Formats: sequence, structure tokens, C-alpha cells
Amino acid sequence: MKRIIALGIAACCVAAFAATADAARSNTGCGIGTIIFEGKDGLLSQICAATFNGSFGNQTFGITSGTLECEKAPTFVSQEKLNHFVGDNMDNLAMDMSKGSGEYLTTLAVLLDVPVEERPALYAKLQANFSNIYSSEDVTHIDVLNNIEMVLSAG
Amino acid sequence: MVLLIRALPLLFLLFLLSALPAAAEPPPEASPDNPYLAELLENARRAELHDAPYWHTLLHYKRGLFGLRSLVDDPDFFLAPDGKHDPRAELEATLRAFFLPPPEEGKHPLCRFVARYHWLKERLSIDESRLPVPGCEPFERLMEEIRPESVTLVFPTSHMNSPASMYGHTLLAVETSYKSDLLSYAVNYSAITNETFGPFYIVKGLFGMYEGYFSILPYYAKLQEYGDVNDRDIWEYPLDLSGAEIRRLMMHIYELEDIYSDYYFFNENCSYDLLFLLDAARPGLDLTDRTGWWVIPIDTIREIERAGLFRSAAYRPSKSTKIKYLASLLSREDRREARAIAGGGRNPEEVRDSAIPDEEKITILDLAGEILQYRYMGKEIPKEIYQKRFLNTLRVRSVFGDAEAEERYAIPAPPRPDDGHRSNRLALGGGAVEERTFWEVRLRPAYHDLLDNEDGYKKGSQIIFGEAVVRYDPAGEKARLHALDLIDIVSIAPRDEFFKHTSWKIRTGFFRRTMENGRDYVVYDLNPGFGRAYDGGFPGIVYGMIETDLHVGGALERSWSAGAGASIGFVGSLTGRWKAHLYGRDIVYGLGDEDNRFEAGLGQNLVLGANSGLAGEVTVIGERDETRVEWSVLLKQFF
Repeated sequence: MKRIIALGIAACCVAAFAATADAARSNTGCGIGTIIFEGKDGLLSQICAATFNGSFGNQTFGITSGTLECEKAPTFVSQEKLNHFVGDNMDNLAMDMSKGSGEYLTTLAVLLDVPVEERPALYAKLQANFSNIYSSEDVTHIDVLNNIEMVLSAG
Repeated sequence: MVLLIRALPLLFLLFLLSALPAAAEPPPEASPDNPYLAELLENARRAELHDAPYWHTLLHYKRGLFGLRSLVDDPDFFLAPDGKHDPRAELEATLRAFFLPPPEEGKHPLCRFVARYHWLKERLSIDESRLPVPGCEPFERLMEEIRPESVTLVFPTSHMNSPASMYGHTLLAVETSYKSDLLSYAVNYSAITNETFGPFYIVKGLFGMYEGYFSILPYYAKLQEYGDVNDRDIWEYPLDLSGAEIRRLMMHIYELEDIYSDYYFFNENCSYDLLFLLDAARPGLDLTDRTGWWVIPIDTIREIERAGLFRSAAYRPSKSTKIKYLASLLSREDRREARAIAGGGRNPEEVRDSAIPDEEKITILDLAGEILQYRYMGKEIPKEIYQKRFLNTLRVRSVFGDAEAEERYAIPAPPRPDDGHRSNRLALGGGAVEERTFWEVRLRPAYHDLLDNEDGYKKGSQIIFGEAVVRYDPAGEKARLHALDLIDIVSIAPRDEFFKHTSWKIRTGFFRRTMENGRDYVVYDLNPGFGRAYDGGFPGIVYGMIETDLHVGGALERSWSAGAGASIGFVGSLTGRWKAHLYGRDIVYGLGDEDNRFEAGLGQNLVLGANSGLAGEVTVIGERDETRVEWSVLLKQFF
């Protein structure tokens, strides 16, 4: 688990850097404008953009590094999905986590590949550690993922 | 002019330059004498494939006033120069294009039009090994990436405050092998515009001056947009499509990538173009032939249901519905606590340490969290304050455990919108103005008024488009247009401790006004208003509005008359089957023709069935120091 998340985060950072360097070329930038209102990209990249770009930034705690380019090693797909899901749904996920249930939490479990029968324990653990996961007001989704990983690997 | 003459040689040179490369490098042509191509062309001709309904589905060909044409307007969608109008030429050009050598960049036509390719391949038993490119690898990669497993029709209901969304919207969600709806892909057709709401927007939308494109987003982004930000409850209808059908649907989406059709609000709109995807998925479905020149999202949903594509529906409440529901579980005191936490006047820790039962504390904290999120998204509180309060609240909340909260919060689904009354309405009846009786026919293409059966519709909303009222006077033996409501929208949104809605109305159209000489004339009327409404705990809503009114007509002394005034009213549903609207309204016309017009009325409706009702109305109208009483009884039928 720990390694999976770490890999995901690493992939995200590398890609975020690449994206910054490449911003001029890219039409699939972060934010609602380009994606929804332009639709000028190929479908493949649109799908990438849809999945992998912070598509609706106003719902986050101020995530700053949510942009990813779409070229990726296929094995990281679900980790990138995880990154973006958490990045795009910070608030709703926080809400569910504090309650210990809900669709956003279930989706997190799906992306973490946790089997159904182990999920109640996972939810309880995340809820109990809420303050450690959403550790401060300016937490980013990277922090959240790091913290989740820490909590889960703590046994 | 001088400038132009001077510029001419330059222009000429530019023209030459731009023409040069084309002349030097003609576009690659498939060899016309490729024997296999000739054979396929011949077979296609013999089978008259260009007339096959599915070819017309894939190309969006429809018969219009001026003959057959495709509804797609993007030239890139056609391979033949006259492909928009000529199915045969397009089919032959498509076959020829399959024989083009692989391009250096971009997609091969076989790939760009992958649904066409697969259909032709099947119908003509095309031997892939005899083509220059072996199938469409990017599409297969995409399918591998998405792994679509099922498709759901999604209906975000209307959002009254935005006129563009009044009828709601439809989109598709493509579920993947991830077992989570949030990770589905939302396939959406919409006009591309930067225009903010305004007359421009309406006019351009009416006349197809925007381009409509398909787009794909994660479903959760759509949920945020509709459910969290826009207060729109969402309905989901899981479609009964096979794997092969879903694959065809994906192929057609793929073909329509980056392709525009002119977008028309009324008929070629978001809901209509979505039907092409389903038609492409299941040959012979032909949903796109079942609509009129007026496409309302909910009507397309009913057609899809009639075609047997779904049975069940799932309800996904919006954030504001959630807030209202959580609030309904709490006492007034507790609701105040939740608001105080959201407002910053109280620390969540104080609630934690108070003496009330845990279950109440949990609901208070959950409600406070929802309110905070709602207000932040509505830009009512700045980010810094929001982050702090929100996280603080959730931190305290997380201490309580209680994984059952979500189940306790299961919000009961209201009646399904597709079970609501249909969109068109015909009403027949009669009545009298003072002693003079009349017969009346009312015809309305859309959509819902305050007294109609509310099931499946938004409470307190009225959206009328193009209602014509014709009255027949048996004494004078003549029928006349009595009124034509072009637009008559009322949004009565009750305010409460959480939501500070503004109610509003706008009506414009023509109506017959009695003049001083006792005769009546048609005048144009524009009547906007806004105000407040409250749900008094009584089974109904009371409202009050400030209104202005403008009349224009040749029969008026100065051709126009404008005034301001107010209205108050009560809309209630005393039993499930009986609705009433009691109102009073007074407008003082101080500009143009001066007058005072007072109106009070009681309208009632008895629901007879899902699509029928009996309405009765009594109105007292006072103008120019005269008062008259009008009543009518109408039998209403929706269809």
C-alpha cells in the first residue's frame, strides 16, 4: 500500500513539473474554462484531461499541484486516478471521512483497491485519524494522500 | 480604397503563396483502380447501403424542408464535398478514404470514423488485411483505458434561477470497471459559449448561432456542478444496453470528437443530440425521429423509457436538498446551533461538550458542515474562513464515530419526474365575464403552471411558453384570440433560516384589454417582478412581490402605459389532489395612459389523473373605476 501511494505521488510530482514546463503547448489546462468550454482536444486527450486534470478547482482546499500531463505509464493509471480524485474532491471526501461513510469514501476505497470486507475497518480508521489526515487548513491533496498512507501503514 | 489598391499586389502574392503548397503537393488519393476498392464500391451500390437507416443514423441525416441533409454542420465530419446532403457520395468517399495510406500525423479516416468503418466492414464483409491500415488502434486503446461496462441516463432537474436550465438537462454517464459511480465518465452535449446570460444569448441560441460539441468529464465534476453548486437534484436511469451496444455508442462518441453541430435551444439541443448516441448504440431505435420541433429533456427521457431502455430510477439529492432534510431532523434549537457553527458564532467544541444526546450532536455537526460547504460554493464566505471552520467542524465530528449516520440520512425520493404530467396541454371550458358567457380553448406547448399537478415538478415553479387562449362568444358568434402568453415564468422559492432565496416572475405576451369605450383590444404586456416567499408550516407558500408592468398598443391613448405595484398570494395544496392559488395585485400606471388596475383571484385545480385536471377560476378586476367579475371552468388534458 505504502509503495503504491508513494509511486502515485511521485508520478504526480514529475508530471506536474512536466506540465508546468509544458504549459504553453497544452490545451488541457487545469480549470473549468478550457475543458468544458473548448472541447478542442482529441477525445483521448480529452478523456485524460477529464480524468487527470483538476477539473473543478473551486471545491478544493487550495490545491496547487493538481495538473498532470496525460502521457503516463499505464501501470500508474489507478494511482493517477487516485491523485486526481482526491485532488478534485477534497471537501466531499473530508466530509465523508469525518462521518466514516459515504460515496466519496467508498470511491477512495475502490481506488485504494481495498476489498469490500475490509472497508468498514478502513473507514473507521480514517475517521479516527481525521485530524491527522486533514492536518491543517492549508493541506494539499498530496499531503492528504501522504497522511492516509502513513495512517494505513501504521498498522 | 487607395489602401486597398496598394494592398492588392500583396494580397495577390499572399494568395499565390497560400495556393502554392496545395498545388505542389496534392492530397493523397486512394488509387481509383484498386480492384478491391472497386469491388466494395460495387457491392455497396448493389446493396444500396447509402439508403440503409443506420447509415443515416451515423451521419445524422434527417429529412427537412429542403430535402435530406445531415444535422451535423462541421465540414470535417464529411469526406465527400457534398456529404452533408448526399448519403451516397459520402458513403463512397468514406470507402475510398479507407484505402488511403496511413497519414504521417493525425488519424486515418478509418479511425476518425470508426463507427462507420465497423458498420461497413460488417455489411460488406471487408477483409481488413487488404486495407492499408489494420483497424483503429487508438480507439481500442481508449476502450482499454475506459473499459465501459454500463451506461446511465442522467437528468439534472431544473434550476429555476437560471433560465437556460429551466427544462433540465440530460447527459450520459459511462460506468467503468471501477465499481464507483463517481468515477464514471459524463458524456455531455452542449453549446460552446462565453456569452453570459442576456438577450444575445437567447437570440443566438434560438437561431443556431452557437456550435454544440460533445465533451467528456469525470462524473463527479458534473455532480459538483449540478448538485453541489446549482441546487439541482439529479435522477439517474440505468440503461439496458448490451456490451456490443455500448461499444457502438463509444465508437460514435469517438467519431463526434471535435465535431460541431449548430445548436438550437428548441430542437437541436443538449437532449436531442444525445439521442444520436443511443440510436447509434442500438440500430433501429430511431429516437431522433420521435421528437417534434420542440425538444424538452423530460420528453426525451419518456421516449427512451418507452423504447424499453430503462425501468428503474435512482435519486441523487442536491446539497440544498440535503441541508433541508438534515434540518428537518432537528429541533429549532439544534438548527440554530448548526447555523451558529457555520456562522462562526459558536465553536463546534461547545456542541461536543453540551448535554444533548450524541445523535443530535452528530446531525448538528453534519448539517453545519453542509451549510459551510454550500455557502462557500455560493461565494458567501471567503476561503480562509471557510477552510478553518469547515475543518474544525469535521474534526469534532470525526470523534463521534457513528457509521450509520449516512443511512439515517437516506433522503426519501420524491415522485419521479418522468412520471409527472406531460409537457403539452389542451384545456377546454367556458365561463363568463359579468353576464356574458364564453367558451374557451387553451393550447400550451410547454410546460407547467402553479396549479398543475406538482408530482415530478419543482414546487412553486411555473414555466409557460406560448400559451394561446381563444374565446368564442356565443352571443356575437365570433372566436377571438384572447391572450397569447409568450413567456410566463414564476419562481416562488420560500426563504427559511438557511436559504435566502429571491422569488421572481416574468411575463410577456399579448392580452385583450377592455378600453374606455367598453371594447377590448390586444395589447402587448411586459410584467416582471421580484419578492419573497415563506413556507408558513401551513400546507402552502405565501409570497409578496414588487412588480412593474408595461402595456403597448395602438388602442391605448398614448400607445403605451407603464406602472408599478405589488402582489401578494398564497399557493397551497390542501389535499394531494387539490391545489389553490389565491392572490391580489394592484398596479398604478403613472406613465403613458394613467390608470389603476386591481386584480384579485382564486384559482383551483382538482387533479383527476396523472395527465388531467379540472380547473376553476374566479377573478375580480377593477380598472377605470369599474369592477367586473370573471369566472371560468376548464378541463385540462396533458399530452
